Amino acid sequence: MANVVFPYPFPEHLTSLMPEIFVAIAAMALLLIDLFIAQDKKSITAWLAITVSLIAALLSVNVMQSEAVTAFYGFFLLDHFAVLAKVLICLGTAFGMVLSIQYMKDEEHLGEYYVLMLFATLGMMLMASANNFIIMYLGLELMALCIYVLVGYQRKVLRSSEASLKYFILGALSSGMLLYGVTFLYGVSGSFNFAGIGTGLAAAGADAHTAIMLGLVFVIAGLAFKVSMAPFHMWTPDAYEGAPTPITAFMSVGPKVAGFVVFIRILADALPSLQNEYTMILTGLAVLTMAVGNLAAIAQRNIKRMLAYSTIGHVGFIMLGLIAANTDGYAAIMVYMTIYMFMNMGAFAIIILMNREGIPGELIDDFAGLSRVRPVYAMAMGLLMFSLAGIPFLGGFWAKYAVFMAAIEAGHLYLVLYALLFSAVGAFYYIRIVKYIYFDEERVAFNFEESSPMQLTVLVTTIAIVVLGIFPGPLMDICKQALAGLL
Amino acid sequence: MLESAFFNLFAGLCVLSALGVVTARNTMHSVMFLVFCFFNAAGLFFLLDAEFLGVILILVYVGAVMVLFMFVIMMLEQKKDELKSSVRQYLSLGGVIAVLLLMEFVAAASSGVFVHGAHATAAHLGQQINNTEQIGQVLYTKYLLGFEIAAIILLVALIGAVVLTIRKRKDAKYQNISAQVKVRREDRVRKVRM
Repeated sequence: MANVVFPYPFPEHLTSLMPEIFVAIAAMALLLIDLFIAQDKKSITAWLAITVSLIAALLSVNVMQSEAVTAFYGFFLLDHFAVLAKVLICLGTAFGMVLSIQYMKDEEHLGEYYVLMLFATLGMMLMASANNFIIMYLGLELMALCIYVLVGYQRKVLRSSEASLKYFILGALSSGMLLYGVTFLYGVSGSFNFAGIGTGLAAAGADAHTAIMLGLVFVIAGLAFKVSMAPFHMWTPDAYEGAPTPITAFMSVGPKVAGFVVFIRILADALPSLQNEYTMILTGLAVLTMAVGNLAAIAQRNIKRMLAYSTIGHVGFIMLGLIAANTDGYAAIMVYMTIYMFMNMGAFAIIILMNREGIPGELIDDFAGLSRVRPVYAMAMGLLMFSLAGIPFLGGFWAKYAVFMAAIEAGHLYLVLYALLFSAVGAFYYIRIVKYIYFDEERVAFNFEESSPMQLTVLVTTIAIVVLGIFPGPLMDICKQALAGLL
Repeated sequence: MLESAFFNLFAGLCVLSALGVVTARNTMHSVMFLVFCFFNAAGLFFLLDAEFLGVILILVYVGAVMVLFMFVIMMLEQKKDELKSSVRQYLSLGGVIAVLLLMEFVAAASSGVFVHGAHATAAHLGQQINNTEQIGQVLYTKYLLGFEIAAIILLVALIGAVVLTIRKRKDAKYQNISAQVKVRREDRVRKVRM
């Protein structure tokens, strides 16, 4: 045993993992601190957790280097793209926690609730920095495991447990498919590293073609499950409807950002030699996703289900950026995700505020006559809905504009025309809510459970989409610069 | 010679005990057969110089997973006649899967990929180091980041399992530690004049 030589020196650039290490330690510390906080003062835990996620966002910016750095023998990659994604993820988590303070205040074991949200954030941050299928998969599972538990957190609510179980089973299935695909790519290239797979696949002979195609199809199917592309979207409406509303808001942003970052890295680094093949697969999926998301949303009566289908529809539009497969397309995805975060968080904040005589206002009819009782909320909801529909000069318009332009420049004109058609279909069900708010009679008395964090969220998100609608330039520049080093 | 004798012993017992698992009437006997099957499979791993896998198979599957199985079986008593009817119910589907698997095995065995000596094991390559040491060297160095994340995943699984199952029962007695600590002698001991 004396002459054992360790072939690997101590890992370098450990400071680039500072945000992740901070979140991990803070989450574990919070788990202990929470034990000393009385049940009626649990909002202290929430504010501590919010502070942790905001500090993590600041640390992510702070460790950014001018060049891309790898740590842990190439397993961990820190570039501008990862930093941008991490800031978005941390902000999404902070918003989700702010929304939770009031909604979850009567639940037991709140400390673990916020700790699980922090661990999910850690998983997403690791996904954003993953340069390797091993770290990417471990980050993905860390995130997914936390979210399965968070979806089923309200154990007394039957549909919450049901949603959690459905999500868990389908999530496990999709992980299996993803791993099955990865084994094929590993078998052909002999590497788990994205760039290593890229060179391995480019050098592979013709006899490996079947294995490569199987790997490609299974990897895309597994990832498509995670970002809810049709026909792998089945879990989305049930999980969104059953989950506590703040968790629905949380899982509609961070996990999608992390999923698309991983998607972009895999397509750009590991599978560039298969661009024709994956463009074909993704085009088919995008056509189906846009149709399913936007058409099924029309038929929904529950607004959480409607927003679930609307997420699927937006994922369809975001996929245009993947299909464009260039820096502009990928930057457009990040622009889209940033604006989408503000729109969705604002909409969910108002849904949480809606309360009709103790019953959470989750039906679309519940919004009838809102403008007469609460003109300010009505206006905020109206702006958010117009933005989600993509009406010009609100944030949502520029999100769609960015991906559509990127796709047109990459030569996918017909696909963009198709997307415009479904964008118009989507406008119908968003604007229907505005019609309920402004033109319908009030039926049952409103009973708003107001609190300053919720009001702040509505205010911040609404101002953000209006400001981003008028000055979209800086955000687009930031995203373009972040993506510049990728290809 | 000795190696093939051991292989036949372990492989034969493995198949026999696997048959025992599916034919035993008593579920507890099935579990014990499965444990025996795992021991023999571990023996096969040792013959392949994969002693790490062999040890892990015994530690994890026999030591933890099968014990869990036993707990579950002891808690959920199943009636015997239910078992009989379920055999007939799944016979057709199970039969199709078994035939397909058999065909796959025959095709793989006759493909010429798995010929004797084609895949030399570590000892035959003249390695002076066993594979437990080899795994240990990379697990805590090259793959350290993944190892740490896996540890956090286990922690999350633990927290999640507790959060989803813990419940406060109204009729349960809880210890009130601060009340216990605050107790003074006068509260408990009373001087009685006889």
